[in-house]
This record gives sequence, structure tokens and C-alpha cells, in this order.
Amino acid sequence: MAPEASQIQLPINLIDTTDINRAKREVEALAEFLDQASIREPGKQPAMPRTSKTLEELARINKLNLLIADQRQQVLSFLEYLQQKAPNIHISFATDPSAAFLGKIVQWFRAEVHPHTLVHVGLQPSIAAGCIVRTPNKYFDLSLRQHFNQNRQSLLDSLEGLKSE
Amino acid sequence: MQWWELALILGTIFAATAAFIWVAISHSHNPAKQKNNAQALTGAAEKDVEHIFNEEFREELRNRGRLHFEKIIGENAMFLQQDLRLTTSQLNDYMKQEITHTLQEEFAKYEESISDAKQLAQQAIEKTTTALDQQRQLMSHQLDQQLQDQKAQMLARFEANMADIVNHYVLAAIGNQIDLSDQLEYILGDLETNKQAMIEDLRRGA
Repeated sequence: MAPEASQIQLPINLIDTTDINRAKREVEALAEFLDQASIREPGKQPAMPRTSKTLEELARINKLNLLIADQRQQVLSFLEYLQQKAPNIHISFATDPSAAFLGKIVQWFRAEVHPHTLVHVGLQPSIAAGCIVRTPNKYFDLSLRQHFNQNRQSLLDSLEGLKSE
Repeated sequence: MQWWELALILGTIFAATAAFIWVAISHSHNPAKQKNNAQALTGAAEKDVEHIFNEEFREELRNRGRLHFEKIIGENAMFLQQDLRLTTSQLNDYMKQEITHTLQEEFAKYEESISDAKQLAQQAIEKTTTALDQQRQLMSHQLDQQLQDQKAQMLARFEANMADIVNHYVLAAIGNQIDLSDQLEYILGDLETNKQAMIEDLRRGA
């Protein structure tokens, strides 16, 4: 039996809304192809649309067959559900993160915060190190700059100590 | 005119006069005769006078008088010329002395004026120099004070912003040297610290 929409697992490489939209377009294209194929004559089938690894991974980890209409519809419903309900988090780094690094970050969010968390990645070189996280209503500055600013007084005390010596 | 010529003229005049006197005395004893004699003598005298003082003699006297007058005029002219030269020379000396004296007085006054002006200028220069020295000292003092103030302000500003400067330097120095993969644990630790706040915000936002 196919799982419910809210119980479907998200693959790590399906990260943000763009990925969701792309997967949804692919499912819709696949559905349209299969509908057209059902009314065409045998032996004159057009080429099957390509699907991305992201969509294949989504189907694989949830043991869904996209050629089956019910399960394909289930994936489509799930993607629509993600578009409307999935929590979005924006995270910025000083440099462009690698796929492996980003996978670990996304994995942590889905394991610790919400299983359907969509992560939007930004670039902010001025933070030097660390990251800045924005949730719908909050701003978490976890950068090295902020860390330095928080410890400004201790740095001043140290410098004053050096000066007095 | 020679002296003998003069003596001859005088002798002739004297002889004529003596003849007149004798004729007059001889005719004075008989009034009628004397009258006739007198008339005769008068006529004779007139004739003699006309004879003696003829035109030539008069012309000669006129020439001699003219020459004598010319001589006197010439001598006077010479004396006048000498006197005029002497007067001119004295006048020149007098003018020289007066001009020299006047010039000396004027030069003395001029030198005195120049000396006064020089003294005034020197006093003015001294006053200006003194004022300039005072201004220079004042400006130097103010400049030193401003430099000290500016230095103190810069030091105070540097000390106040020292932490920011160090932070900026450290961030600029190490910002590009830290690999993002090396930050994973640090980032995950921070995320873990703020996990609850994120969950609550996502629930509230949902």
C-alpha cells in the first residue's frame, strides 16, 4: 500500500522549492505522456520524457512507481503539499557550499526540525565564517562576525591588559 | 692837446682882454670921445672877436671839446665797465654763497627728514617684527595644541574602535582561508543551540 502524502520521505537532493517545482513538472509531463500513450496506436509511441535523479530518488526511497497512475498522483499530491505546507528555511554561507556539505545541513534540518523542511541557500561573503539562518519570523546570526561582536568586551579587556603591561 | 697849445690859446685870450681894457681906459676921460671911442672900440672888439673867434677857431674848439668829451666818456665807460665787472663778480660770489647756504640748509632739512623717516620706518619694522613674532608664537602654540588634541582624539577613537579594527582584520585575514567543510561542526553546533527557537517559529509560522 502506498504511503500517505504527509508520510512520504524527502530525498536529500530535493532541497528547495525550485527542486519541488521541477519534480512536479516532471511528474506532470510523465502523466501527460502516459495519458497520450494510452490513446495512441501501438508502434508509434513518442519518446518518453526524461526524469531527473531527484524525482527518481523520491520515488525510490518511497517505493513508488511513477508509471502507475495512483502512485504518480500520490507523488504529485505530495509535491503540491510541499509547495503549500512545507516549512521554508533560508540559510546563507560565506562561500558557495558543496553538495555534500549542503546534504548534511539539509539532513540535519529534516532530522531535527521538520522532515519536510525546504532549505534555500544564499551567499553572503561578509560573514567570513558560520552561517545566517532565516525562518519565517526570525533571524539567527550564527556567523563568526556576530561571534566576535558578542565577545567584543573580552577582546577589549585583553587589549587593555596588553596595553597596561 | 699839448700844453703849449693851451698856453698859446690862453695867451691870445689874455692879450685880447688887455687890449680891450686899455682902449676902455683911454676913452673914459672924454665922454663924447669916449662914447665914440667906445663905439669904435666895440666895433673893433667885435671885429677882433670875429677875427679871433672865427669859424675855424670855433670848429677847432668844438673838435677839441668833442674829443675831450669822448675821452671823458670813454674813461667813464671804462670805469663803469670795471665797476660793473667787479659788481658782477661780487654778485656772483654773493649768489654762490647764498645758493650754497640755502642748499646746505635745504640738504640739512632733507637729511633730517630722511633721518626722521628712517627712524619711523625702523620703529614700524620693529613693531611689525614684534607683532609677527608674537603671532608666530601664538600660532605655533595653537598648532601644537591642535596637533595634541587631534592626536588624542585619534588615539581615543582608535582605542574605542580597536575591537572593531581587530575583528575586521581577523575576518578579512581568515575569511577566505576557512573551508566551509571545516565549519560543519561549528555550524551544526550553533544550529543545535537554536534548534528549539527555529521549531517554535516554524510551528507559529505554519
